[in-house]
Amino acid sequence: MKRITLPNAGVVLLIGPSGSGKTTLLQKWVNSGQIKESEVLSSDKYRKIVADEEYTSVENKNSEKAQILFEQYQRISKEAFELLELTIQARCRLNKCSFIDATNINSDDRKKLISLAHRHHLPVSAIVLDVDLDTLLVRDNERAMPRGSKRIKQQMKRFQYDKRYLKTEGYHQLHIIKELNHSLEIERMDEVPSIDVGAGIDIIGDIHGCFTELLQLLEKLGYEENEQGLYTHPLGRKFLSLGDIMSRGPRSLETLLFFKNHVNHNLAYMIDSNHGWKIYRWLKGNQVTLRHGDELTAKEINQWLATYSKEEQKRLKDEFIQFLGNAPAHYIIEDDGVPMLVCTHAGIKDEYIGKSSQQISDYCRYGESSSSTEDGRPIRDEWYHHHSGHMTIVWGHDPRPYPTNINATINIDQGVVFGGKLTAYRYPEKSFISVDALKNYNGVEHNPIIEWKNKRLQPPNIQALIEGYRVQIEGFDDVSVKSKYIKPVIGSLSTSDTHFNQLVYLPPTMSPVPIPSQLPDYLEHPLEAFQYYRDHGVNQLIVEKKHMGSRGILLIFKNEEEAFNYTGISNLGAIYSRSGKRFFKKDIEEQILTGIQSSLKRTDYFDKYETDFVLLDCEIMPWNLKAQDLINKQYNLVAESAILDRMILDKELNEALVENHWLKENQEKLERAESFQKVYEKYCWEVSDIDRIVIAPFHILAHSGRVYHEQSHIWHMDHVEELSEICSIFRRTDYLLIEGESNWERVIGWWQEMTEEGHEGMVVKPNQFTIWDKGKLLQPALKVRGRKYLQIIYGMDYLEEKNLERLKKRNTNRKQKLALQEFSLGIEALNRFVKQEELGRIHECIVAILALEGDEVDPRL
Amino acid sequence: MQLTIHAKGEGANVLSFLLAKHPERLYEREYKGHKVRLFYQCFTPNEVKLTIYAVLDAISLVRDGGEKLDITHYINDREFAVSSLFLSLIRSPLATALNGLPKEEYLPYVEQVFQFSFSFGPVNTDLSVKNLRELFSPLGFTVSVQSKTKNSPLYVTVTGETTLQRGLRQLFILIPVIDNYKHYYIDEKEAEKLQRFGEGWLEDHPQKEWIYKRALKYKGLLNGTIFQQGKVEREKKQKGLNQRRYEKIIEIIQAKPHLRKIVDMGSGEGKLSTRLGFLPHVSEIIAVEPSERETLKATKRYAKAAENAGFLMPIQKWGSVFYYDDGLKNKDVFILCEVIEHIAEEKLQTVMQLIFQEYKPEVCIITTPNKEYNTLYQLGETMRHYDHRFEWTRAELHAWVEKMTAMYAYKATISSIGEIDHERGGPTQIVVFEKGVMI
Repeated sequence: MKRITLPNAGVVLLIGPSGSGKTTLLQKWVNSGQIKESEVLSSDKYRKIVADEEYTSVENKNSEKAQILFEQYQRISKEAFELLELTIQARCRLNKCSFIDATNINSDDRKKLISLAHRHHLPVSAIVLDVDLDTLLVRDNERAMPRGSKRIKQQMKRFQYDKRYLKTEGYHQLHIIKELNHSLEIERMDEVPSIDVGAGIDIIGDIHGCFTELLQLLEKLGYEENEQGLYTHPLGRKFLSLGDIMSRGPRSLETLLFFKNHVNHNLAYMIDSNHGWKIYRWLKGNQVTLRHGDELTAKEINQWLATYSKEEQKRLKDEFIQFLGNAPAHYIIEDDGVPMLVCTHAGIKDEYIGKSSQQISDYCRYGESSSSTEDGRPIRDEWYHHHSGHMTIVWGHDPRPYPTNINATINIDQGVVFGGKLTAYRYPEKSFISVDALKNYNGVEHNPIIEWKNKRLQPPNIQALIEGYRVQIEGFDDVSVKSKYIKPVIGSLSTSDTHFNQLVYLPPTMSPVPIPSQLPDYLEHPLEAFQYYRDHGVNQLIVEKKHMGSRGILLIFKNEEEAFNYTGISNLGAIYSRSGKRFFKKDIEEQILTGIQSSLKRTDYFDKYETDFVLLDCEIMPWNLKAQDLINKQYNLVAESAILDRMILDKELNEALVENHWLKENQEKLERAESFQKVYEKYCWEVSDIDRIVIAPFHILAHSGRVYHEQSHIWHMDHVEELSEICSIFRRTDYLLIEGESNWERVIGWWQEMTEEGHEGMVVKPNQFTIWDKGKLLQPALKVRGRKYLQIIYGMDYLEEKNLERLKKRNTNRKQKLALQEFSLGIEALNRFVKQEELGRIHECIVAILALEGDEVDPRL
Repeated sequence: MQLTIHAKGEGANVLSFLLAKHPERLYEREYKGHKVRLFYQCFTPNEVKLTIYAVLDAISLVRDGGEKLDITHYINDREFAVSSLFLSLIRSPLATALNGLPKEEYLPYVEQVFQFSFSFGPVNTDLSVKNLRELFSPLGFTVSVQSKTKNSPLYVTVTGETTLQRGLRQLFILIPVIDNYKHYYIDEKEAEKLQRFGEGWLEDHPQKEWIYKRALKYKGLLNGTIFQQGKVEREKKQKGLNQRRYEKIIEIIQAKPHLRKIVDMGSGEGKLSTRLGFLPHVSEIIAVEPSERETLKATKRYAKAAENAGFLMPIQKWGSVFYYDDGLKNKDVFILCEVIEHIAEEKLQTVMQLIFQEYKPEVCIITTPNKEYNTLYQLGETMRHYDHRFEWTRAELHAWVEKMTAMYAYKATISSIGEIDHERGGPTQIVVFEKGVMI
């Protein structure tokens, strides 16, 4: 019995003249279940598909007729082959195997198919059926639609002639079969091994011979050493190395032996990598230059081998060669049969996934090096910007100080050998666990971790932003932003005086209560907000009075040194608006920040909370600080125009000769105009000096290393209370807690009273900062604005029945979606800031928030 | 928005016929949800007073508006101010009077002169009371104005002897002239209205041209009015200065033919880049600009320039000095023409670091105003442009340049552009940084 090995993905050419047994052979394999019927692409079938007949016989026709029939046949064949090729291409793209059942006797035709497969990085195998002419002629006579001896002889001649090229056409495998053996069997190769996630998998970044750290990490992950010295997990988890397990570091040999042993025992996996490949070629005796730490690995191996006999040495070397040579360029990890993760060393292109070729292996080992630094070191192209789709690519090779999650790619090389960390990415938990390096094993020169830290505050890369991008947010859905919304944001931020390094958070927009009030003379009412949360299973709510000022973000550092450490700027911090613009003039900002900072220092705030800074989300009052222009040009003008118009009309209507209802109607309108003016006058006062400025914080966004979005709002309110006692510029916010429906009435009363006085209204929030219902993020807050306040939003006469009726048809869906996206982006920005990630990573969140704000949503919501 | 017409004189009660409005009935019509109403306060043989006013449907008003979505779109004075919108609403109720076509028997009264007062408001205008008088006095009216404060809306009364038709026609032309609304839609009808309603008086009005311009509000013409003379002259001077800046920059680049690849940072509407595009030895121009409006203008400008032979099309890039762009590295020239003064002084350090340490051009040309020269523009303490974050004296620039050359491997020369005042120097300062060895 002869066995031949064929690929799982690729192209298999059956080669031989008509009657050589191609179809018969394939049919046998199909019948025995060795290949799928759909894998067979037969030219006869394609002729039938395009022209309803498999073959045009010219037997027994005169030469003129035969000529015409043959031309017809050729036209059909041409169409059939074009369609056949398209099918092969599609199957190649989808990583399928195609058995081509055609004569394939012409070398040029074969080359076309070979290059097609190679373009898709798939192997081509050939099965040549070399049957003698006599047999062919006999068989042709027996078939239902004989091709005729003339055709068979022609084909045979071409087949024999072009056979000589077979060896050089570039087949992955070439099987020449002289006689059809009935017991010919095939074996399918496993091209790119898939791993079932099983009990879980722990993917480990570049180890570089840091064996001690590796063992520490495995222990931290819960692996235990058994009697045979193997590390196993009580739950049956396995670990997978992304390669580069050796070189540069101190214990390369032990790491190599460790992995070889674990891989052989089916406890671990390892991927091919640049260092692994170098050592492999060195072991095989190839001419290679050993550097970048490979010389250290070679030295360790040589010293070790020297303790063995010649034969033992050969055996041990071969074992290493086999181990390193068998490491695949990438692994696909499947969960429930679905490919979820791709693990590779330096990177991969989407079209390479699930395939293997020399080119793909090289790409996975080295990534894409497009240019080099002045001293010749390669600068790696950011291949991960081109990844699309939700399959996550986990990779190493390019060390960075923390795991980076960009565009569904996760880098977990934290440069342990450079004094960084050794990281494991746990799947399906999607969590990171790492151990610190015991030391920097590699010195400071060209230390990527140090270089990375130095470059942290470099200006954001515009090319990564301008064409649109997707932000991956830990714990929330990704957010995509489009180029057309980004461009104006870049324009606006380029005129902002705020340092980008200090622009670390922007507040999300907030939706009003999604359902309009059922009451006839209200547009918004608290009842619907309470119901929204109750219907989503949230009972503990907090309602906070909404101050009417302008949103401001305060970043205050303990001292200028810490400020410099975080932001590269030696000042006390920044105050900026929700559009990212500096809130105050520079000198006033300095005065305010100095005042706050000295109060906080005096009361040991920074020590008490072990923080270098505090970041606050606030409302800054009075409104006219920011809105003076709007008040003068819009609100005052509108109010005065309306009052003047309606006052004079009142006088004229009083004198009207004919009795009418217009007078009364106008009087009501005059009252509303006056009330409109009072509404915003309440929010304005003269600011002669900074003592007249009031800041009401409501979220303590972050301290060193901590983001407080898991803390309850009660916690935030208590903290604000503390701040207001420390520093007089801070004002506490009135709030009430709702424990259930029995509290609703009391809170509605509170809101009524407050809003009738002209206050803006209140914000209803679940006490828990971030809250989910059935896997969906709920609105973190809903605003319920007062009847009077809404005059300055919807116009002074909005409560007139005919107006209100139309306004109640408003739709808040888009606003709600934006609120959630901006909320999660804000939290992501904070997380990145406290981790001191590089500026570009923080800035992409900021730009995304502003880009979302550029979306056309009714600004009155 | 309202207009009160008050007429005195023998037989003034003929007005009801001229208007075709019955004094004992309330007049009300609805148009797209807006209401127009008319009522009389007085109706005697010798005195008539009536008011016509409009109640607008604020919600349909903003819905009609369309594209621009910020809160100012929803809360604005259009609902109240006397404007072309008001006129379009009252035009039909007043058609008989405006056209002078009452029932035949009253036709002779169309030409009848009475003592008229037309009161209208609220009026929101950028014109002064003096300006208003310049408009109405030549027509024989005296003007009185009622307003709460200096900047408040006005209620205007013009009084004089005239006919109803003439008075109304004059108001129909002058009200849009007075109103300062920017988004006023002009179509052919408007021009035709000027022709028809202006017949017999507009031709002889001393402010005729200006009325035409304001009424039709041709783009940009507002600046050419008598009210803006001073500003125009200063701008003219500065325009000349712009040209000289460009010329100087080009001179520097031409003197060094090996400078072939140029980055125009903050290229604005592309004036400089367009000029650079015609320099024969230049092989690449990258025009970097973050503003959408300016970028669009520049695109048009380049396309127009490209109609000429020998023009090298600049590559437009969206960006600014606050962002890193790989494509700007190792070029020959960086130009920041009137750019740095728009950057907060404390942010300038990062910008220069990016240029000198990352982009590393052979030459970096920077121009910026000389603050000392501002006295000659009689600017006082104000800066030359509202968006300027700073303006430096010659000494301040000098100190900054020294700091830069001490930090980075560049040497620098400073000179002046424009007419030089022996005490205050030239209006613009220019620095040329050249890559050199760090001392």
